[in-house]
Amino acid sequence: MGRLSWRLATVTDVRPETGRVVTLALEVPDWDEHLPGQHVDVRLTAEDGYQAERAYSIASAPDGARVELAVERLEDGEVSPYLAGELRKGDQLELRGPIGGYFVWEPDRGGPLLLVGGGSGVVPLMAMLRRRAAAGSQVPARLLYSARTLEDVIFREELERLEGAGDGLAVTYALTRAQPAGWTGYARRIDAVMLEEVSWRPGERPLAYVCGPTRLVEAVAGHLVALGHDPSRVKTERFGPTGVP
Amino acid sequence: MDETDLRLDGNAVAGMLAEMSGFDLTVAWGACAGCGTSNQLGAALVYAHGMGVVACCPSCGQHLLRVARGEGRWWLDLRGLAWLQLDEQARIAR
Repeated sequence: MGRLSWRLATVTDVRPETGRVVTLALEVPDWDEHLPGQHVDVRLTAEDGYQAERAYSIASAPDGARVELAVERLEDGEVSPYLAGELRKGDQLELRGPIGGYFVWEPDRGGPLLLVGGGSGVVPLMAMLRRRAAAGSQVPARLLYSARTLEDVIFREELERLEGAGDGLAVTYALTRAQPAGWTGYARRIDAVMLEEVSWRPGERPLAYVCGPTRLVEAVAGHLVALGHDPSRVKTERFGPTGVP
Repeated sequence: MDETDLRLDGNAVAGMLAEMSGFDLTVAWGACAGCGTSNQLGAALVYAHGMGVVACCPSCGQHLLRVARGEGRWWLDLRGLAWLQLDEQARIAR
């Protein structure tokens, strides 16, 4: 398991993903390799000693001392405007982790895999998909990803690449606010009908990971169980009040 | 925004619970003293406030665990747990 002490990480790269989300690439000395789905706690300290702590999911597959977070900037946030607006390459950041062994997936856990994400809830799911690809895993996987608009889809190009690799990954988007001209995909919030169309049959016993805003997570988990999926194979992670896609 | 939006789960407070106990409690199994259902604490419904954390049973909603910290002390209310099973594998390095 991870380490509990606070450590200083160095920002090695800052990449914009969407208008509100940036990827922070960090170098963490003595990092214990994480499991896909785990998070870190980040701590900011003001000059007067005031401290604010937040949990951020790791977006990257395990890769030595390198860790990537994808952070959504919340306009009224205490921590995210700094992380996703002011941090620059070479800056340092206090963090601890990796944390949490509940919402994790490794290729040897098998599948088929059903990943359902809302907004930045896709971040830990992306770590799973990146790990799956890096390991050459053929575990069949489906990602159902709800975002406000196509421009709000994080990791879109990479998801296209991963899906195009033809190794058994299918990606489906639900765009809830606006859709590009000619959009033939889902144009509403995730509901039971959509889940029945996109997900595996309950008899195929998928492993489901659902992450996003609380309302989305609870609605999706409720639908999956009502459709006949085994509750013990539906794992959830609720993100804080980040606005529902 | 109402209480629903503020509801998190055990994953969100894994760091704090690990700091308190030295274990990754999200993978620990616990049984609700109210309804008897056992779950991993990662699945518990969590309300985090300035004073501390309340974790509730995902099956019946009853309090499982209350944790508060302050002035160099941790306060634990464990009345809602019939039992808690800690896995030695989930011990966390300091």
